[in-house]
Amino acid sequence: MSEPVVRRTQAGHVVGLSHTPALRHSPIAKALSLCGVLSMLMLASAPLQAASDEGSKFSITSAKAPHSLLLDVASLGKRLVTVGDRGHILYSDDNGASWVQAKVPTKQMLTAVFFIDDSHGWAVGHDAQILASTDGGATWVKQFEDLEREEGAPFLDVWFKDRNNGFVVGAYGALLETTDGGANWVDIGDRMGNEDLYHLNAIVEVKDSGLFVVGEQGVMFRSPDWGQTWETLEGPYEGSLFGALGTDEAGAILVYGLRGHLFRSADFGTTWQAISLNTANNGPLEFGLADGNRLADGSIVVVGHGGTVLKSTDNGRNFSVTNRADRLSLAGVAAMENGNLILVGQGGVHTAAPTGADLGQQ
Amino acid sequence: MSKHQQQPASFLERLIFNNRPAVILLCLLISVFLFFQASQVRPQTSFEKMIPLGHPYIQKMLEHRNDLANLGNTVRISVEAVDGDIFSKEYMETLRLINDEAFYIPGVDRSGLKSLWSPSVRWTEVTEEGFAGGEVIPQTYDGSSESLEELRSNILKSGQIGRLVGNNFKSSIVDLPLLESYADPEDQSKQIPLDYQKFSHELEEKVRDKYQAQNPNVKIHIIGFAKKVGDLIDGLIGVALFFAVAIAITFVLLLWFTHCFKSTLAVVVATLIAVVWQLGLLHTLGFGLDPYSMLVPFLVFAIGISHGVQKINGIAMASGEATDSLSAARMAFRQLFIPGLVALLSDAVGFITLLLIDIGVIRELAIGASMGVAVIILTNLILLPVMISYIGISKKAVQISREDAVKEHPFWRFISNCAHPMVAPISVVVAVIALAGGVWYGQNLKIGDLDQGAPELHPDSRYNLDNDFVIRNYSTSSDVLVIMVKTAPEGCSTYQTLSAMDELMWKMENTDGVQSAISMVTVSRQVIKGMNEGNLKWETLSRNQDMLNNSIARADGLYNGDCSVAPVLVFLTDHKAETLTRAVQVAEDFAKENNKEGLEFILAAGNAGIEAATNEVIAASETTMLIAVYAAVSIMCLLTFRSLAATLCVILPLVLTSVLGNALMAYMGIGVKVATLPVIALGVGIGVDYGIYIYSRLETYLRQGLSLQDAYYETLKSTGKAVLFTGVCLAIGVATWIFSTIKFQADMGLMLTFMFLWNMIGAIWLLPALARFLINPEKLRNKA
Repeated sequence: MSEPVVRRTQAGHVVGLSHTPALRHSPIAKALSLCGVLSMLMLASAPLQAASDEGSKFSITSAKAPHSLLLDVASLGKRLVTVGDRGHILYSDDNGASWVQAKVPTKQMLTAVFFIDDSHGWAVGHDAQILASTDGGATWVKQFEDLEREEGAPFLDVWFKDRNNGFVVGAYGALLETTDGGANWVDIGDRMGNEDLYHLNAIVEVKDSGLFVVGEQGVMFRSPDWGQTWETLEGPYEGSLFGALGTDEAGAILVYGLRGHLFRSADFGTTWQAISLNTANNGPLEFGLADGNRLADGSIVVVGHGGTVLKSTDNGRNFSVTNRADRLSLAGVAAMENGNLILVGQGGVHTAAPTGADLGQQ
Repeated sequence: MSKHQQQPASFLERLIFNNRPAVILLCLLISVFLFFQASQVRPQTSFEKMIPLGHPYIQKMLEHRNDLANLGNTVRISVEAVDGDIFSKEYMETLRLINDEAFYIPGVDRSGLKSLWSPSVRWTEVTEEGFAGGEVIPQTYDGSSESLEELRSNILKSGQIGRLVGNNFKSSIVDLPLLESYADPEDQSKQIPLDYQKFSHELEEKVRDKYQAQNPNVKIHIIGFAKKVGDLIDGLIGVALFFAVAIAITFVLLLWFTHCFKSTLAVVVATLIAVVWQLGLLHTLGFGLDPYSMLVPFLVFAIGISHGVQKINGIAMASGEATDSLSAARMAFRQLFIPGLVALLSDAVGFITLLLIDIGVIRELAIGASMGVAVIILTNLILLPVMISYIGISKKAVQISREDAVKEHPFWRFISNCAHPMVAPISVVVAVIALAGGVWYGQNLKIGDLDQGAPELHPDSRYNLDNDFVIRNYSTSSDVLVIMVKTAPEGCSTYQTLSAMDELMWKMENTDGVQSAISMVTVSRQVIKGMNEGNLKWETLSRNQDMLNNSIARADGLYNGDCSVAPVLVFLTDHKAETLTRAVQVAEDFAKENNKEGLEFILAAGNAGIEAATNEVIAASETTMLIAVYAAVSIMCLLTFRSLAATLCVILPLVLTSVLGNALMAYMGIGVKVATLPVIALGVGIGVDYGIYIYSRLETYLRQGLSLQDAYYETLKSTGKAVLFTGVCLAIGVATWIFSTIKFQADMGLMLTFMFLWNMIGAIWLLPALARFLINPEKLRNKA
């Protein structure tokens, strides 16, 4: 057995990073130097803000962040946390009515977020970054970053079993593991038979069965021992699968991807059944499907391109299809405390009725 | 009688009045030549003349003009479905007909024409095999509900929503790129330059009128530079009609004033000769008529009439004493030539100060107006008295003038109270309060254009309503600030460059008043997403250079030929000065912090960039110009009256007018801009006339030993009517402009009307009050 390459976490380093540039580019010094310009007096507030953001690697606080591209959303009890473009992480404690932008030490796109409890969560993204929060998403530290790995290719999903044990998957077959809450991340890509280095798009838990990973060109892997060994499966589809979702039934899993393809397995991926999805005018759904979630009442929601929102109340055997009026592509979905949906994607966050329709439209 | 009338005839007077036939003949010859020239003057609008060529933004823009090809000249026709949406057979058919019709309008770059019916408008989709795609309207389209449904799904996949198709699917656009010149259909070897007016009319007739009549369920909106210029030229020609109105009103007023048809005709003819000469000279010197220099003939006419009135007034009074019309004309010439000359020279000097502003149209306005004023010296100060010396003034007019000279005038007696020792202090206090109030309120005055849409036209003009429609329904605004990103050749697609551009765009998008920003980064992100099966999680820049190079291959027009210049287009919500200043400042700060060897952020192009530069130039010129124009007229007054006190009496009322004018602009929501800046110089330059005429008379009577109030009464009796009339004449000449369809002409008209009237009021009311404090009649009498 070969020794896995252990990569030191950069957590300790990050603290330094956040302070050194701030000293070099003191906002006050900058503001003073700018004050010489007469015309600046009228605009003092804007340049000051710009100056304090400049020279740091933190994401820029922006009123537009809730409306810019967001890619995943997690629901942790009362709080919603969403991540997306430009290092934006936002949280809401009022069912999505208002959003606070978290302090995040990156400006790169974040692709996925996962919370194991009300306080402990991880986010992954481009530049092979892993961020962690211990205060419910308000502040974040960088645990891992690797610009060398395929020129900073992105991590695409993250899943934790408990506060210590977790996995990250990503582009070009990236698969990493931690057993200490992210202090150390270990590349365990060689545990998987993914010689062609297909992108791994999602990692999910299947009830009473183990872990499941789907990816580019329909590749799929399962691990009955929760990540120690991985078995390559023959998938039902040669197109890419963007997401997977376990259901409330043991061994039952849904996978979905390009052009409205959605498959269901009741036996942890051994056999598959294609689920047909028809749009309002009875044509087959042709939009890609990106992400899904289980709601408190046991129903299942899957979202995707073209404002697609699928809903199933029978653990994924049948779905109703809605295409939202704005047709904006969706990348993530979570249920809110009040039973409504929070959708994220193009145009940022959208709150919706459990059917996927805009709340205002009801 | 007065000292002037006893003065011996000057050399000039002898020269003119001893050679009257020669003077007439000479003027006739000049008129024939210049009339021929004037008949060839054409309306023209040149883009470069309206912008401050010396400003660094403009220089950078011109320097990189060829690198910014895509920001070209296009017209967009938005076809709106009034009921329902675009997915109906009838709508699509009308759209196809419009598409075909527009294709054949001369000047349209047919290869670039784009609408839903263009084969080049395609949809793409990611499939298991990679990209799939096709024409948005497929060959199999037959208008059935199935093909309309297919069309809907193709449009959704085409990425044209917000660009060619309205955000609410209720309208779509036909995009017409234009050629500045095109091959003559009759003779392919000849190139015809695009005639904006003709093109604009063709759009109206062949597209708007035709298809709105054909399909009542569509409404057509047309926007674009060419349409705007077409509308402007139409407005310009409309203004020419006002000229006839101004002449008619003036004629009637003159008749009422002079009671003499002959002299009325003489004044109008002499003044029209001045206008013809001015226009002829304009063409001879190679200028055309633009929407700004269009003002000059009106001004020349108004100034000419006002000086003509002074002349007629003088001759009528002289006729009371003189034996024949020739000696009356000579007497009036002797009396009025010098004050007239001084007044006209001050006008000219006031106009010349406009040359300080580095904007072509204003400089041409300055040259044209100075020229026009110089011409008036010849026509109305020399030719007019010579003409009158032949035709004389009607007996009735002389009779009235003679009676006026001796009878009591209760109105003027009442007005002469302005010089009363009790009234004068009150007047001064009122003036000071008005001045303070004006200064306080004038602080609200803004630089630049304040309304939405095309600032040249009224907010409720059809063009601006169309523009508003497009802004509301599509994801682009018409106010674009362009920041040029310059790198080494082949350097525009590096990760370093693109990520810096991306950061600039985000910074701009987070600035108040910025709607959105696009650049090659926008395309790159989309294409990278596409290369990754449309997965949103890849919609960002890649550090992989091959991927970046591939991703920008489709970003045509968003970088130049050798990938060394790439524009960042920032769409603003409006073009108010604060919006522009704020956006430009953020971009400047970003450039200052991020410019380095091989990566430079350069401001600015785009209409918003040009407006930002124009605003800066105007803000900088405003004070300089005010100082210059006041210095110029003060020096003219000092030279004439050789007295500081007299100069103050004439200048201070003008200052009050300028200040109140600013307050009025603030109140009316008119900004200081290319159109209103000259108004200040014109107002002061012309306004000084009243003061000069009144003060020179007042001084004459004071020297004769009259008390201030009596002297002022005599002044008003002899010249007050003429001054009053002059003010009204000038105001009428420019007031017709208020009804112009061109917004800035209307603003100019309003401001000039105010300035001319208020300057007159200031001269009649405030000048004597100031004289009460500043002038010592004893001293003047002793000097005499």
